[in-house]
Amino acid sequence: MKKKYLILSTRCALFILFFIPFTQAQNPTPAPPQHKSIFIKNATIHNGQGAVYPNSSIGFAKGKIIYLSYESPNQSMVWDTIIEAGNKHIYPGLIALNTQIGLAEIEAIRAMNDFAEVGNVNPGSRSLIAYNTDSKVTPTVRFNGVLSAQICPQGGLLSGTSSLVNLDAWNWEDAVYKADEGLHINWPSMRVYFGNNADQEEFEKKQNERITKELNQLDLVFSEAYAYSLNTNPEIKNLNYEAMRNIFNGTRKLYIHADYVKEIVAAINFSQKYRIKIVLVGGADAPMVLDLLKENNIPIILKRTHELPQRDDDAVDSFYRLPKLLYDAGILYAISCEGFWQVRNLPFMAGTAAAYGLSKEEALRAVTLNPAQITGVDSQTGSIMLGKDATLLLTTGDLLDMKSNNVLKAYIQGRDINLDNVQHQLYLKYMRKYKLIK
Amino acid sequence: MKNYFLLIGLLFLGLVPKLWAQEYFPVNGISQEKQITIAFTNARIFIDYKTILDQATLIIRDDKVTDVGTTVSIPADALVIDLNGKYIYPSFIDMYSDYGIAATEKPVRKDYPQYEKSAQNALGWNEAIKSDYDAALHFVVDSKNADLLRKTGFGVVMSHQKDGICRGSATLITLQDKNPNKAMLKNQAAACYSFNKGSSPQQYPGSLMGAIALVRQTYYDARWYEAAKIKEKNISLEHWIALQKLPQLFESDDKLNTLRIAKIGEEFGVQYIIKTSGNEYQQIEEIKKLKSKFILPVNFPEAWDLSNPYDAINVSLTALKNWELAPQNPAYFERSGIDFSFTADGLKDKSTMLTQIQKAIKNGLSEQQALKALTETPASFLQISDKAGALRKGMLANFIISSGNIFEKDNIIFENWVQGIKYIVNNYNPHDVRGKYNFQLQNNTYNLQIGGRSDALEFEVFHDTSKQKVNALFQRNELVFQLETNLKSYSCIAYYQNKKFTGTMQLPDGTSQPFTAAFIAPFVAKDTKDTTEKKLTPSGKVVYPFAAFGTTVLPVSEEIVFKNATLWTNEKEGIITQGDLWIKNGKIMGVGKNLTSPSAQVVDATGKHITPGIVDEHSHIAVTGAVNEGAHSVTSEVRIGDVIDSEDINIYRQLAGGVTTSQILHGSANAIGGQAQLIKLRWGKNPEQLKFEGADPFIKFALGENVKQTNWGDKYKIRYPQTRMGVEQIYMDAFTRAKAYEQKTLKKGGEPVRKDLQLDALVEILNKKRFITCHSYQQSEINMLMHVADTFHFKINTFTHILEGYKVADKMKQHGCGASTFADWWAYKYEVIEAIPYNGAIMNNVGLITAFNSDDPEMARRLNQEAAKAIKYGNLSEEEALKLVTLNPAKLLHIDNRVGSLKAGKDADLVLWNDNPLSIYAKPLKTYVDGICYFDINREEQQLKEMKEERYRIIKKMQEEKSKNSLLKKPVLKRKKIQHCNEYELMPFEVE
Repeated sequence: MKKKYLILSTRCALFILFFIPFTQAQNPTPAPPQHKSIFIKNATIHNGQGAVYPNSSIGFAKGKIIYLSYESPNQSMVWDTIIEAGNKHIYPGLIALNTQIGLAEIEAIRAMNDFAEVGNVNPGSRSLIAYNTDSKVTPTVRFNGVLSAQICPQGGLLSGTSSLVNLDAWNWEDAVYKADEGLHINWPSMRVYFGNNADQEEFEKKQNERITKELNQLDLVFSEAYAYSLNTNPEIKNLNYEAMRNIFNGTRKLYIHADYVKEIVAAINFSQKYRIKIVLVGGADAPMVLDLLKENNIPIILKRTHELPQRDDDAVDSFYRLPKLLYDAGILYAISCEGFWQVRNLPFMAGTAAAYGLSKEEALRAVTLNPAQITGVDSQTGSIMLGKDATLLLTTGDLLDMKSNNVLKAYIQGRDINLDNVQHQLYLKYMRKYKLIK
Repeated sequence: MKNYFLLIGLLFLGLVPKLWAQEYFPVNGISQEKQITIAFTNARIFIDYKTILDQATLIIRDDKVTDVGTTVSIPADALVIDLNGKYIYPSFIDMYSDYGIAATEKPVRKDYPQYEKSAQNALGWNEAIKSDYDAALHFVVDSKNADLLRKTGFGVVMSHQKDGICRGSATLITLQDKNPNKAMLKNQAAACYSFNKGSSPQQYPGSLMGAIALVRQTYYDARWYEAAKIKEKNISLEHWIALQKLPQLFESDDKLNTLRIAKIGEEFGVQYIIKTSGNEYQQIEEIKKLKSKFILPVNFPEAWDLSNPYDAINVSLTALKNWELAPQNPAYFERSGIDFSFTADGLKDKSTMLTQIQKAIKNGLSEQQALKALTETPASFLQISDKAGALRKGMLANFIISSGNIFEKDNIIFENWVQGIKYIVNNYNPHDVRGKYNFQLQNNTYNLQIGGRSDALEFEVFHDTSKQKVNALFQRNELVFQLETNLKSYSCIAYYQNKKFTGTMQLPDGTSQPFTAAFIAPFVAKDTKDTTEKKLTPSGKVVYPFAAFGTTVLPVSEEIVFKNATLWTNEKEGIITQGDLWIKNGKIMGVGKNLTSPSAQVVDATGKHITPGIVDEHSHIAVTGAVNEGAHSVTSEVRIGDVIDSEDINIYRQLAGGVTTSQILHGSANAIGGQAQLIKLRWGKNPEQLKFEGADPFIKFALGENVKQTNWGDKYKIRYPQTRMGVEQIYMDAFTRAKAYEQKTLKKGGEPVRKDLQLDALVEILNKKRFITCHSYQQSEINMLMHVADTFHFKINTFTHILEGYKVADKMKQHGCGASTFADWWAYKYEVIEAIPYNGAIMNNVGLITAFNSDDPEMARRLNQEAAKAIKYGNLSEEEALKLVTLNPAKLLHIDNRVGSLKAGKDADLVLWNDNPLSIYAKPLKTYVDGICYFDINREEQQLKEMKEERYRIIKKMQEEKSKNSLLKKPVLKRKKIQHCNEYELMPFEVE
C-alpha cells in the first residue's frame, strides 16, 4: 500500500492546492464514492454528542467511520491516505434543517423559485424532485461546513413533503438521504392585527373569520385523511391523502411551523386529537409553554438565532438565549437557518447560542446530532461515532466562530468533497487582475 | 308662577325669538319678524371660565346677551324663567370639527401608480395641496350632527374638510340649524394643514418627509409667486397666499410630529395652532419650548380585555403606559403653563366628551382650566373673544343650562341655547317634586316617596311595612303610575299643584275614584358618591424615550479609567494589551499605560476588550413614515433629518450590539433619493439631540434594479427610468438643471428666483458641500456614475452595497471614492448574482477605504461579526477587520476626527467587550456615547424585571376597568415595519 502524507499548514496553501486547477465559473464535479481508506491523525475531535477528544485520530473507509483512537487505542489498519492534523479539528458535517437550498436560486426572479406551490393543501408536493443539485449556492454553503440539508417546501397550509439530502450529488436521486421524510404544516396565523385606515372592526372580523376557516380546513383535511388511511387500498386514489397516510402510522414526520404561543398550544392540541407526533418549527414563544412541550415530548427546530426580538419588551438577546432555555428544560431542539444562500451562516447561529449560555459542544450538537435525531437519521449520521457515516469536516479552527471557521476538507460518507465554488473562483480571478496574488 | 306656564306654552308653540331666514328672503306665508327678551333668573352663571355669579340673572334678546349679573333689572316685556339654582355656562367651542362638511369620497384604488395630477386644470401640480377648498362654500346644515354636538355642550364649531396636506380654509359656524346664513360667523376662520395627503391619488408624497418637503416647497413657491408677480396662473398658490392671513391650524398625529410642525413654523415665521395627538405629555419639556397654540383631543386610549395572557403579551408596555398616562395629558399641559383648547375630534361617540374631560380632571386637570379650554381659549385662538366663549353683554346667546357642575358625574345638561334658540337636551320639570306624600286608598294610608335624580325620578310606595317600587312617569306636570295592592290594580293619573298631586284612580272595571297625595316631608338624598372613584391609584412615570428600556432619569457622562484592558486603538499603537483608557466630559482623555485620575471611577477591565464604538454607514432605523420618497426619480428635497424617530427600540438594540453612530439613509427607490442624517445613538434624547453635530451633510443616490422598479411588480412600469440607460439620463438632467439654477441664483438683480429645495441640494453637491453615498451593485453602473461625477467635476464619496466593487476597485481608487459593503449577502436578486463575500477584502487590499454596513436592524447589532467574516473571506488581519466597522466608516463619513479610534481628544464613544470583539462569543458589556453609558448588560436584567413589574401593575389596573365595562376589546397587534432600503409601498419582498 502506498502512503500519502498531506501536510496542511496554511489556508493559502490549501487554496492553491485545491482550487487553482478549477478556476472556472462552474460548480465542481461531485466526488466519487470512497474507494480508499482515510486516516486523520492527531486532531481534536468534536463528536457532536457533547464531547471533545484532543489529540485523537479517526479512520474511515467505504463511507463509514471504522476507527476512533479514543474508542480503541490500538490499531493495525493500513490506511491508503494519512492526514497529519495536529492543531486541527474534526467535526461532524453540519445538518441544516428547514432550508430551501436547491429550490431557490435568485429570490427576486420568479423563474428561479420552486418552493411554494399554489393552493392551500399540497401534501403531495415533493421538494425532492425539484431539488437542483447544480445550484450555484450549494457549494458556498458546503464551504462553511454544512454537508446535509432538509429541503422544505413553503407556503399554504400544507406545503408538501421535505427530504433530507447530501449537498454533493449529480442529481436528486443521487443526493437523497431520506426521501419524503416529513410533511410541513404552516399553522394558521392566529394573530389579529391592527389595520391602518381600515374599518378596524370589520378588519378584525375578517381576520377572525380567516383564522376559523383555516383551522376548520386543517381539521377537515386531517379527519378525511385519517379516514382514508384506514383503507389500505381505496378504490379512488387521492394523491394528497396518500401522501398523508404515513403520518398516521408514524413513519412520516409532521412538522408544524408556528411561533405565536396560541398557535403552539393549538398545534399541540391538534397533535393530541389525531394522535400524531409532531415537530415544532419556529417555536419563538416556546419559553411560555416549556412544561407543555416537555410533557408532550415535542422537539423544536428553531429558526435563526440572529433574529430581532418578537416584541419590543423582550430582552434584546431573546433569540440568542432561546437554545439555552430549551436545553435547560430538557427539550430536544435543533438550530436552523431558514433560507438558501443564508444557510452558510448556520455554524454561526450555533456559535451565538454558545455565546449566550450553551457550551460550545452543546451548541455544536444543535446543528449535528440533534437535527439527525429530530429527522430520525441519528443511527446513521449526525455525530462522530463508530459505524456511522463518515460525513465530517477537518478545520483549522473553531467551526462556530466566523473569525476561525475554515473548512480544509469535507467528507460526505467518506467522499472527499471539492470545496471550490463560483464565489471563490471570482475571488481568485480578480485578485490576479489586481496582481494581489499570482 | 303664571309666567312659567305661559312660557312653557309659548315654547311648545314654537314661539321663540326671531331667527329663521334673513329678512330680505322671500317668505312663504306671513312675516315671522319679532323680538323677544328672556330673563333667566336664580341661576349660578359662569360669565366666563373664572367668574361665577350666584343667584344671577341672564338676559337675552334675540340672539345676543343683553345683560348678565346679580343686580340687573329685568325688562318689563321679558319672559322670566326661574332656574331655581341651575347652572348656566357659555356653550363650548370646538375648533377641530367637520360638522356640515361632506367627507371626501375614498379614492378608488387605481391599477397603476399615478404620478401626474388627475385633470388638466390651472391648479398647482400636487392634488394634496387643496388650498382652493373653501369650507364656507361647501357648508350645509346637518341637523342630526348639530343635535349631537349641542348635546355635548357645543355652541360654535370651526369646520373644515379633513382631507389633504393643505386643506384650504375652515368656516366658523354656530350650531343652530334654523338659519345657516346667520350661523356662519366667519366664512374663512382658519387655514388648515396636515401631513396626510388624504384622497389625493398622486404618488407624491409617499412619505412623511415628502409631505414635509411639499409643505416647505409650497411656502417658498408662494413667496416667489407673490414677489415675482408671476403671470402664469397657479390658482392653488394664489389661494395659499390668501390663506396666510388667517390663523394657521396644523393637525398632528404624534408628539414628534408636533415638534416637526413647530419647526416648519419657525422656518416660515408661522405660529401654528396645532391639533395634537394626545401623547404630547411624553415630550412636555420640548412642547413647552414651542411658540405654538394647542388643541387637545380627549379620546384617551380604551382599556383592553387582557384576561387571556396570550393576548396580553401582544400589548407593549408602552401602550399600557400610554393607556394609564394619556388622561394626564391635559394636566401636563396645565402644569407646564401651556394654553390649550379641547376638541371632541377622535371620539367615536362625541357625547362622551364631558365624561372624558372628567377623567382628565380626575387625572389632575383643574376644572377651571377644563372650562377655559372649552370656552375662552378656543375663542381667543379664533379671535372671537368678543362673540363667544363667555357670557357678556353683546355676545352671542350661546349657553348651556345644567343641573349642576358640568364636570361632575351626575350633572345633566338640560338645554343648550344657540344664538338665542332653545334646544332641549334633557327635559326638566319646572318643579322639584321629590319628597314624601301620603294618600288614602280603601281606608288605608299609603306613602308615596319620590326620589332619585331630578331627571330620573324614582318612585316607591309604602304601605304598613311593605314597600314596592312603582313604575311611574312624571312629565309635563302629570304623574302617571300603576299601583298593585293585594286586592286590586289601580291606574292613577294626577297633576301637581301647590305641593300636592290631585287626580283620579281608575279600577280595572272602569270605575274611578278621586286621588290626592299631599306633601309631608322633603326628599333626603342618599350619599351615593362613589368614594372609591375619588382615590386615583398612583400611576407610573414618563420614561425617556417613551419605549421599552426607557428610563425616568437619563444617564449622564462619567469619568472613568478602565484598567488593564485590551485596547483596539485603530491608531498606530495598534492593539494594546493590558492598557488603560481614561474618559472624561464625553471625551477620551488618554490611551496607554498607567493612567490615573483622582476624580475618576476606576474600572478593572482585566481580560476585557475596548473598541471604538461601531459606526454603521448604512442604516434605516429610527425613521418615521417610510424611508423612501419613491414617487419621483429625483427627491433630493426630502430630508431624513426631518423624520428621525428617537424612540425606535432598534436604537437600544443596536447599542446592545456596540453601535454608537449610524448614518440614517433614504431608501433606494429612486436615482436621487433624500438627504441623509447622521445620528449618535443617544437613547432617550429627542430627535434633534440625536443628530451628529457639525457633520458634513450627505445624500443617498441609488442605481440598478430598485431605481428601475424591476422587482416592484408589473404595475410599476410607468415611472422613468426603467433601464440603466435611463438612470444615467436622470443624473445628467438633474445636474444640468442644477447648474442652470445655480447660475440664475448667482445673477445679481432681475426677477426673484424660485427657491428650489431639490436643486439646492444638488448645487451643494456641485460645490462639494454635500456628499453622495450611492446604493450600487453592478460594475457598469458604478463606472457610469463616476463618469457623471467627473463630467460635473465632483466626486462620489461612497458607493454603498457596491457588491461588484471588486470588479472595478482600480477605477474606484482612481476616482477617489470609498466603499461600504455587505460581508456576505447575495442571490436575492439578479444584480447580485456575482456578489462575493471576498468583495470587502479585495477592495480593502486595492486600497479603497472600505466599510461594512448593515442596512438591516438585526445585522447592525452584529456588525463586529460581519467584520470578522473578512478574516474568513479574504484573510484580513483582525485589526484591519475591526476597522471595517469603526474607523473606515468614520472616514467615509468625514467624522474620523471625532470617532472611529481610541485617541485622546476624540469622543468617548466606545464598547467594553467580554471577549475578542471579532469573535462570535463576544458580547458588549457596556456601550458609551459621549462618555455616557447608554447600554449596560447588567442594567438590562434589572430593567427587564422592572418592566415586567410595571407591566403587571398596569394590567391589573386595566382588569379592574374590565370589571366595570365588560365590553372591552381584545388587543390587536400593531405590525412593526422593519425598514429596508428598497421597501416601498407594495414591494413584494423585503430584502435589500
